[in-house]
Amino acid sequence: MTLPELIQETRTAHWGWHEHRYFGQRVFEDLAGRETLTGLTVLSVLGRRLSSDENGVVNDAACTLTLADPRIWPLKLTRLIAAYGSTLPAAAAGLLSEQDARIGPWTTAKGAELLLAFDAAVGARIDDSELVRGTVKAYLDEHRFVWGFGTPFRGADERLVAFRACIRRRERGSLRFWRLMDAVSAVVRDVRGTEPNMGIAVAAAFLDLGLTPHQVGSLTSALMQHMFLAHAVEGSARGASLRELPATHVDFVGHAPRTSPRAGPSSGECTSQGAVAAPESHEFMENAG
Amino acid sequence: MSTAELDGPLEGSAHFPERLTARVVTPGERPSVHGYDVESDLARHYQPSDLLFLFLNGELPTPSVSRAFAVALIFLAPVSVAHASTHAAVVGRLCGAPASSTIGVAAIGAAEHARSLLDEHIDLIAWLRAPRVAFPERYRARDDGDRAAVQRLEQALTPTGLAVPALGERPSRDAALVIVLFAVGFKRRERLEAVIALARLPSAVAEALAERPTNFGNYPINLPRFTYTESA
Repeated sequence: MTLPELIQETRTAHWGWHEHRYFGQRVFEDLAGRETLTGLTVLSVLGRRLSSDENGVVNDAACTLTLADPRIWPLKLTRLIAAYGSTLPAAAAGLLSEQDARIGPWTTAKGAELLLAFDAAVGARIDDSELVRGTVKAYLDEHRFVWGFGTPFRGADERLVAFRACIRRRERGSLRFWRLMDAVSAVVRDVRGTEPNMGIAVAAAFLDLGLTPHQVGSLTSALMQHMFLAHAVEGSARGASLRELPATHVDFVGHAPRTSPRAGPSSGECTSQGAVAAPESHEFMENAG
Repeated sequence: MSTAELDGPLEGSAHFPERLTARVVTPGERPSVHGYDVESDLARHYQPSDLLFLFLNGELPTPSVSRAFAVALIFLAPVSVAHASTHAAVVGRLCGAPASSTIGVAAIGAAEHARSLLDEHIDLIAWLRAPRVAFPERYRARDDGDRAAVQRLEQALTPTGLAVPALGERPSRDAALVIVLFAVGFKRRERLEAVIALARLPSAVAEALAERPTNFGNYPINLPRFTYTESA
């Protein structure tokens, strides 16, 4: 019996006899010796190549995004998994933690969505300061958290300062989304006293390259993998001391000791809730963190 | 240059605690879970499914909830290789990945599978929270097989004594399992996601470990057939 054939279309790649295809490019003829790792990364996310100068913006972003102190939480996560001695699971764990997270590269996708929303409201009237202020103020009135803003532990994001210098050198500071970012930032600064961070800047620069928000998040994530790899490599080679911290370094703040209903009379501070019935006794969970 | 010679925001005025905080398991040689001693109490009087319930909900289940939760876990557990989550774990094994990596792939697949399932049931969860409107039609059983599976679930639940009135809405098998988990106390999205993923992880791991590493010749490489196109 012949099974019905299942088909899925792909634009990514094909394995040929003497030449392979990658997003419409001949791998040996078009890419080898001509394209950079950055260019390949861009091609992987966008499905098309960018110009050399545009790839330069991507390189600038990758370099200025390099803040890899192991105390930074996603990188710490990588070090913790690396403590068991393997490299790639640690790098993969770091990558996994980035999807839709409140910090890290995916914030640029959220920042891009925010800028596109403001762009839809403001359009070409970006120099109309009253319009921009009213639009941003209305957003701030409804949203406590604003993607791409906030610079914990310092007054300004030094990465944005450096990236701005790169953008200026490439004469891209007058492009649509970079200008919009600056206009929006002025209002957020005035209303909230909050500075823009690298997330909104990368979002603006990549929107000016023609990326969608999802592409912005994916590309930024790819551009930051070198930091996770660095900690995965170093941590797997000499990080075993993290495997188990001494108990003296842990405070337990959970439930006091108690005895289960099946073991005998209850004790401890929550004895009356020693067992849970359903469904009426579960209201406590509705209010739980 | 070294840390002693360098300065930065984390060397400045920012204040952080010196210790980690444990909220569920006590650290050290005599572990307890949410206050219950593991070795002298839980291990002697409870089943693994009760421990999972305790871990995620903070309290032990009553006997009725315990039995109903165990039924739901068993109904949730089988995920065949037809599903992407288990399929991915098998492919990992085929690649000759070590068991730890295969288990990791299976865990990611199970978590994504659970997230996707709950994304599809978001309106059902909203209805369960406030069942003041009609049961959403899209979660009703679609065929006789679906209806028969839910009937078997109801039969398995009967001895537990747990009443789950929403099963009377003729839900699909997946919807029925979400309903039962909700009824036994899993009302928060993230905990539903956790319990579904954990229930399904063993079958993905088992299916993967049953495959022989590098058994590429027995793998249907053209399932599906990827057709390459360069058009936009």
